[in-house]
Formats: sequence, structure tokens, C-alpha cells
Amino acid sequence: MTTVPISSTDKETSFLARLWSPRNRYYFIAFLFIFPALINFSIFRYLPIFAAARSSLWQYSLLGGYRDFIGLQHYENMMIDPYFWKSMKVTALFVLMKVPIQVVLSLVFAILLQKETKTSAVVRSAIFTPVVTSVVVVSIIWAMMYHSQLGLINSMLSAFGIPRQIFLSDPDRALPAMTAMMVWKDLGFSMIIIMAGLKGIPTVYREAAIVDGAKPWQIMRHITLPLLKRVLMFVVVTQTIFSFQNFVPVYVMTKGGPMDATKVIVYYIYQFGFLFQDMGYASAMSIVTLLILLVVSMIQMRLFRTDVEY
Amino acid sequence: MENTNTNINIVAGPPKSVSQKLKDLGLYIGEHFLYLILVIVFIAPLVWMVLGSLREEKEIFANLYPFTIHTFLPIKWTINTYLDMFGISEVGIMYGLEFQKFMANSLFVSVCVVSCSLIFNTMGAYFFARLDFPFKNFLLIFVVATMLIPFQATIVPLYIVVKDLGMNNSFWGLIIPWFASPFVIFALAQFIKEIPKELDEAATIDGASLWGILWNVIIPNAIPGIITMALLEFQFIWNLFYWPLIVINSPDLQMIQVAIANQTTQTQIFWGRTFAGSTLASLPVIIVFLALQKWYIQGVATTGLKG
Repeated sequence: MTTVPISSTDKETSFLARLWSPRNRYYFIAFLFIFPALINFSIFRYLPIFAAARSSLWQYSLLGGYRDFIGLQHYENMMIDPYFWKSMKVTALFVLMKVPIQVVLSLVFAILLQKETKTSAVVRSAIFTPVVTSVVVVSIIWAMMYHSQLGLINSMLSAFGIPRQIFLSDPDRALPAMTAMMVWKDLGFSMIIIMAGLKGIPTVYREAAIVDGAKPWQIMRHITLPLLKRVLMFVVVTQTIFSFQNFVPVYVMTKGGPMDATKVIVYYIYQFGFLFQDMGYASAMSIVTLLILLVVSMIQMRLFRTDVEY
Repeated sequence: MENTNTNINIVAGPPKSVSQKLKDLGLYIGEHFLYLILVIVFIAPLVWMVLGSLREEKEIFANLYPFTIHTFLPIKWTINTYLDMFGISEVGIMYGLEFQKFMANSLFVSVCVVSCSLIFNTMGAYFFARLDFPFKNFLLIFVVATMLIPFQATIVPLYIVVKDLGMNNSFWGLIIPWFASPFVIFALAQFIKEIPKELDEAATIDGASLWGILWNVIIPNAIPGIITMALLEFQFIWNLFYWPLIVINSPDLQMIQVAIANQTTQTQIFWGRTFAGSTLASLPVIIVFLALQKWYIQGVATTGLKG
């Protein structure tokens, strides 16, 4: 560059001029529109995963900071940690109870309430109200309803002559009780999505089937359900992912008890990171949970893949 | 019901037999009975909460058995519990309650997030819906993939990042991580795509810049979508629990959901106050939802289906 200064500056100006061409200027300005969002996603969505992957290889706590590099030790410990496996089992059980019940009920209610009448609109709003209520409030109120002495549910049962029941402090009943509550809370959400899916099915198919003399359940089985497959897939996948990360009800209602019967994986991660001060192990478990969720959602998308287009 | 017999001759169309009519009536009654049960099941817990906050605490327990209308309905209505919660009454001052502080914190954080998020997400949505860019598809995948990252499961790692940035225990830590959302960008991009392109082109001929088009053409036409997204975002932030629980240490900065949860984990639980706190923490969002229900449900349906 120093040997031929004059020609090089010439070249540089022409290069700069090309770089600042109207088209590139447009691209630059266009990029400014997406730039803030990209910064946010890079720092607060992607970077945490790398940070977790890194700290999962160290002995790391919030108070002590990074100590020794221990490689995959956390992951090896996890494999032989009975509480980790127990929490995975509890989480899986919760998802397997909640998602099928919720999807079936919301499908039934969506079909029942899709009529455009005033009454069905009122019922729809009622079912949707728990969705907008905070999960903290729902957990608090249901914990009070489940209360063995002062709870509303036991008061109602007494009207039918049924003796007082224990819900949340019984290891066999705590998780089903929590599942019932979360189905109650999330049902409206999946119902609305399935309803939008039902509206998206062209009426010609149903009309043609009626002309051909098909019975209502035949129309359901051979027309509505197959065409609804994509929407149902979406609901099952998102609800599985949401439910797998259940945390707030456990924190508010049971703290993981009784006898770890409700200690789901995200609560176990929270305990290690913030109560037992072991961020390294908590990060390693977060990474494993992340991988499990990715695999589960990929399998589900494969299973529900549909060839029906409309 | 008495009309069943007299109507037979008036009804137009093929005359129905009495047994058919009885069957219809049975179906009608069955259906509405089911509706009634559903409304009770989904509303009763919330009604119990709101009405329970409007009575003396002893009254809640005194009317629990036997189960009557007064298990729900107060005999003596009072707002004393709310005066306690706001630290206006003697009891409230004695316990040092000042619930309005947590509500103000939540409101402040929600308003900040919603306004930032509307600015940056609308810009992002405009970019994906309308603008030309060499690596646009790559950027789209970059944005869509963030939706696959499970939120609660990555809270601990997010905390590590936010702490390294020195934003923990401050409003910054509550606001900054949420100023952009892949779901909102996506839903708004769908809304913007439905605006006729001719409007942009006309503005371009008139010499409008990209910012000018966004401000004068796109935003006025996308208002319904923007309001829907603002509602969903407000609900998301107002109801946030896990994130403020770990990122905020000082009680003065705490958000309302954590405040009511802390109240119930104390050694002595006051049912009346818990009812009142829960009502304060949930009623703002429920009222906004009931008032703007149509847009709200539309928003859920679009983000749900297309997101």
C-alpha cells in the first residue's frame, strides 16, 4: 500500500463508493429494522444455552464463581442420581396424564361450543377465563380449595355426604390433583386453537358427506379429524413442551412434596441452582432437559405428519 | 314447556311427532345443563376468591360447613381486607403491608416491556413482511428457532447471562430480556402481509423512506394486530413469576405475582388477605380480557396456528 499511495486511494474511494451504492444503502437501512430483535435473541435466547453448556463443565456456584474444570463429571453424576431420575419420572407422568386429557376435552368442547349462539359464547368465555388468570393465583386458590379441613372441595363433597379427603399431602393424590388443576387452567387455550382449526375446514366436505348420507360420527371420524390433524399436532406438541416445564404450581402448592411425589425436573433444577448453590449441576440438567424437549417435539412432529392438504 | 302441545300445528315444515319433540326438548335441556355445569366449574374458584376477599376472614371458615350459598356469598360485605393490603387500616400498618408498591412495580415493568416490544417487534415484523435483504431466509430461521427454546427450562442459564451483564436485582433485568419476542414478530408479520402492497408502492413514489412507510402506512393499518399483541404481551409480563423470583432480591423491586406467592409461604396464612392479594394480582388482566375478548381470542388463534 505504501509503495503506490495514489492509485490505492483511488481504488479505495471506488470500493467505498461501491459499498455505499443505493442498493447496499437500502440493505443497511433494512437491516436496522431487524437489528434490535437480533441482538435480543442472540444475548437472551442463544447465549444462555452456550453459557449453560460452559458452566455445566465446571464446578460453578453463584457465590463462589467458577472453581475447577471437571469435564463431564456433572453429566456422569446425573446418570446415577436417583432424584434426577425420580423427577424425570414425575415430569413424564404429569405430561402423560395432562396432555391427553386436556386435548380430548378441548376437542369435545370445541365441537360442542362452535355454534355462534349467545349461550355458547358465554360458556367459551368462562372456559377461557382461567387461561388469562396468572398461574400463581390459580395455584394459590386451588391449594386453598384442596385444603383438607377448610377447602371448598371438601365442603362441596360434604353436601353429598362424602367424608373429608386429603389431596395435596397424599403422595398418591398430589400429582393427579395438580394435573386436574392445570387441565382446568390450560383447557381454554387449546380449545380456542382447535376451534380456529375447525373454522378453517371448508364446509363443502361436510356438506358433500351429508348429501352422501354420512352419519355425524362418520363425518367426525373420516372428515373432521383427518383435516384437523395439523392443528391437533400443534396443540399436542406445544402442550407437551409447556407441561414438561411445569414449575409454578410445584413451587406454590407442594415445594416438590409429599415424598418428592410432585418434584418435577424444572423444580429440581431450581433447587440445585438457587437453594443448594450448585449452578454447574443445574446447568447440566437444563442442557439435558433442552435436548429431551427437542427430541420429543421432533418425534411428535414425525408421528403426526399429515399428507392431507386443503 | 307448556307450549309443546299447542305448537304442534303452528310449526312450519314437516310436522314432528310428540316423541321427536320430547327428544329435542330433552337434548335442549341436557345441553344447557352441561353448559351450566361447565360455567360453574370454570368460574367457581375465581368467584370464591373475589367474594372471599369481600368478607371478614372468620366468615369464610364459619360458613364452609354445611355447604350453602353463603359458602360463597358474604353475609356482611366489607372492603377491610383491601384496606389492610394497602396499609391504610391499623392492621395493615401493623403488618407493614403495602401491596400497591408491588402492583406499581408490575405495572411499570409491563408498560415498559409492552412499549419497547411494540416498537422493536413491529420493526422486525415489517422487515420480514416487506423488506428485501440478502440473508433474509437465514435470519428467519434464526428467529423461528428461538421459539423452540423452552422458556422455563432455560431460566437458570438466562440468569447466568443477566447476572454477568450486571442487570440482576434491577428493573433492567426484568425489562431488557423481553424487549423482543419471536412470537410477536411472527404474528405481526402475518398481519402486515395482509395490508395491500399498493399502499407501500404509492408512498414510495411519493418519496417516503422506509421509516416513513412503516409509520404512515403500515402501523395505521396494523393497529388491530398491534393491540392484540400488546394485550398478550401485557398478560405475559404481568403474570411473570419464575423470572422475577430469581432475578430480584430486594423486596422493594418485587413484582406482584412473587409478592402474593411469598405471602402464602409464610408461617401463618391469612386467607382473607390471600384472597384479596390474588384478586388484585389477577383481576386487572381478567377485566382487560373480558373487555377486549374478541381481539384477544383472535390473537391467540393466530399466534397459536401460525406461530
